[in-house]
Amino acid sequence: MIHFYHVTKRFDRYSTALHDVTFAIEKGEFVFLSGASGAGKSTLLKLILRQLTPTEGQVVVNGRNLNAMKPSQLPFFRREIGMVFQDFKLIERMTVFENLSFILTVLNVPPKEHKKRAYQALRSVDLHHKLNAYPLQLSGGEQQRVAIARALINDPLVLVADEPTGNLDPDLSRDIVHIFTEANLRGSTVLLATHDREIIRNSGRRVITLDHGRIADEKASRVERPVVREGVFGIGG
Amino acid sequence: MAREFVSARREPEVPSNTFSWFFKEAFRRLWVSKRTSFVAIAMIAMSLLILGSFLLVAENLGRAVEQWQGTSRVVVYLDPAATAEQIRAVDQYLASHRELARRRFITREQAMARFKKWFANLNDVVGQLDENPFPPSFEIDVSPTAARARPFRELMASLSATPGVDQVQYDWEWIERLRRLVNIINIAGLIAGGLLAAAAAFTIANVIRLTMMLYREEIEIMRLVGATERIIRGPFLVEGFLQGTIGGLAAIGLLYGVFLGTRRFMSPSILWSFLFTGFLPWQKLAALVAGGMLAGFLGSWMSVRQRIDIA
Repeated sequence: MIHFYHVTKRFDRYSTALHDVTFAIEKGEFVFLSGASGAGKSTLLKLILRQLTPTEGQVVVNGRNLNAMKPSQLPFFRREIGMVFQDFKLIERMTVFENLSFILTVLNVPPKEHKKRAYQALRSVDLHHKLNAYPLQLSGGEQQRVAIARALINDPLVLVADEPTGNLDPDLSRDIVHIFTEANLRGSTVLLATHDREIIRNSGRRVITLDHGRIADEKASRVERPVVREGVFGIGG
Repeated sequence: MAREFVSARREPEVPSNTFSWFFKEAFRRLWVSKRTSFVAIAMIAMSLLILGSFLLVAENLGRAVEQWQGTSRVVVYLDPAATAEQIRAVDQYLASHRELARRRFITREQAMARFKKWFANLNDVVGQLDENPFPPSFEIDVSPTAARARPFRELMASLSATPGVDQVQYDWEWIERLRRLVNIINIAGLIAGGLLAAAAAFTIANVIRLTMMLYREEIEIMRLVGATERIIRGPFLVEGFLQGTIGGLAAIGLLYGVFLGTRRFMSPSILWSFLFTGFLPWQKLAALVAGGMLAGFLGSWMSVRQRIDIA
């Protein structure tokens, strides 16, 4: 599902974020991306979403070589990726519902279905009672969960999260990992970047560790691969 | 299993339900940035008001010209010393040309009587004259179409050269001048209005550019969640279009106010009041609003065609 072939990302002569990174994440896998701050985790995720293009090497997501992707195809590609950003990236002037509704508008979902879909997505992150709140009225953890709901609303093929548990207390972090696990059980391939070793240790999942832009360590999963099921919220298929 | 990746080619560029979203967003942004929007709308309104004023003056002047042309006559003044034979020859000449056939002969006495009737207060002056100063004449009704034709001028030249004819007077010369003036006013209005509309379009372009900069983060988020450029730019295009439309409608409202005010102010003056007899026809009003829409749309298009590179 996600393939990196000898990927190097250099920003300038003195700053190389990733060095010759090669790995493959198969369909339905749940993988943690670990590493200290500045190890290159965010750069790697940006390459998956094609916010950045590699200086060398190839990035292939769901059989699509992102290096060769035309700009006009990019929005349609991104609609298939559920991305949870470290800084949430919620539109502050929109309510929680409007943030989710915008995605549904982009996806050409009839407006009459927006409320139902948004409610279902928020229910999965236990925030259905905050439908009409503005992001700034929510706590950091709640904003994070809204961002997760937004990423999940389209039942994505690939779910990518950049430090979704950063700045959250351990209980909330566990809840959020649980949401990703649920999504993985429903069929999404999950790549979760975190530096929270506790979460990684408890999950027993495969871990890719980055250190100064290189893959330092790779640990295979200790749990069985999940049984992949049909769509989420009735959107898939 | 999660659904397979859908081919990009089969996806619509702009989903059908986004047009209502474009308008909703555009109205909201207009409201949020009221002050900058007001500047853009005011620029459009002023440009179209100036253009509309020129059109209004030209329209009324044109109407007056048409009216005058419809009632104008050719007057052939005869030499006071013209013989009866010469007068008969002129009459036969007129009768032989269909466009000059509707004629009346006015004797010197009839001309004097008419003058006395029309200018009764000058009767004393006329009474002091030793002899009748009015020459005999032929008054001819000519259709405006015939008068505008090129052979008519040649006919008038030939008539002037006929023995016994002193002077041929017809109104079309100055009516033509007025017609040219109407054209000049129209062209001047279009140039001035066009230049101002272009300036207004640039103002709108800058306002939209500014708005886009304000919405940088939102645009970035929209791109990251899969919104196409058309979906992102749509509300900005609609915003410019709405600014132009509101500006156009405001211009018409202002123009009507100016028209009513000026007509009231000018009504005692016969000389100027003819310039404000009627308002612009609906076609021209629609053209003004369309001009505003176009200027607004072009202005916003100038801004949105340059991609803001964020994500």
